[in-house]
Amino acid sequence: MTEVLASRSFRGAAAEDAIEAVHNDLDSLWLDVPFVNDMDQMTFTTAVIESASNIVQHAQPAGERDVELGVETTVQPALLQARVSAYYAKPPFGPMEASTPDEDAESGRGLALIEALVTTVTFERQDGTNTWVLSRTSSQD
Amino acid sequence: MEFSYEVKDSYAEVKADGRLNMVSAPKLREFVTDVIAGGSNRIVVNLENTAFMDSSGLGALIGCLKAARQAGGDLRIAAVQPQVNMVLKLTSMDKVLTAYTTAEEAFGND
Repeated sequence: MTEVLASRSFRGAAAEDAIEAVHNDLDSLWLDVPFVNDMDQMTFTTAVIESASNIVQHAQPAGERDVELGVETTVQPALLQARVSAYYAKPPFGPMEASTPDEDAESGRGLALIEALVTTVTFERQDGTNTWVLSRTSSQD
Repeated sequence: MEFSYEVKDSYAEVKADGRLNMVSAPKLREFVTDVIAGGSNRIVVNLENTAFMDSSGLGALIGCLKAARQAGGDLRIAAVQPQVNMVLKLTSMDKVLTAYTTAEEAFGND
């Protein structure tokens, strides 16, 4: 069993307020694990907020229930991992490959940014829930 | 996030303090649009106290840049902090949004 040194869990309506709540959770998480260096904290926080924002902006409800956002973040000795989920959501619509928009485009950079920030991104769909698993191998100082 | 602005001799300085994310990005766009409508088309966005920016925030800055240019001016950014600098570099937008050390330097040679 891999040792979990610290973790945070959020679940709530996929709305704007959730983004600030998740960001506050991450800020407090880093206080528990000061050995995680600034670069890892910064990159991982950015990737998680990008993914959560993607759900708040784009996830569509599969039925009558509103979409909920879930973010579970764990810190292991050499691994940062987040499971960012859209509950009660339709499968994602459109291409899931990162694109490179024109330089004057005002959107479309999120996915490429996430891929640049973490070591792996995987997607799972199970029981009506879309989950992006973000993993970053923690660099040692 | 809190916004404020100050009209200087040759430009207007906009400060955006806090997290520039999907919540605050539309507000920045609206705020800068109002500053431009007020007669300032040379804008410096001072990011000294912008601790965080995501792709929504970046999109808003690009939108503001286009609005300033459409008004015959320009938009420049100053005092960029490490996380914002990282996002600019990873998206290659550091070539489009030139960062200056201070707000005073941004239009210093124009």
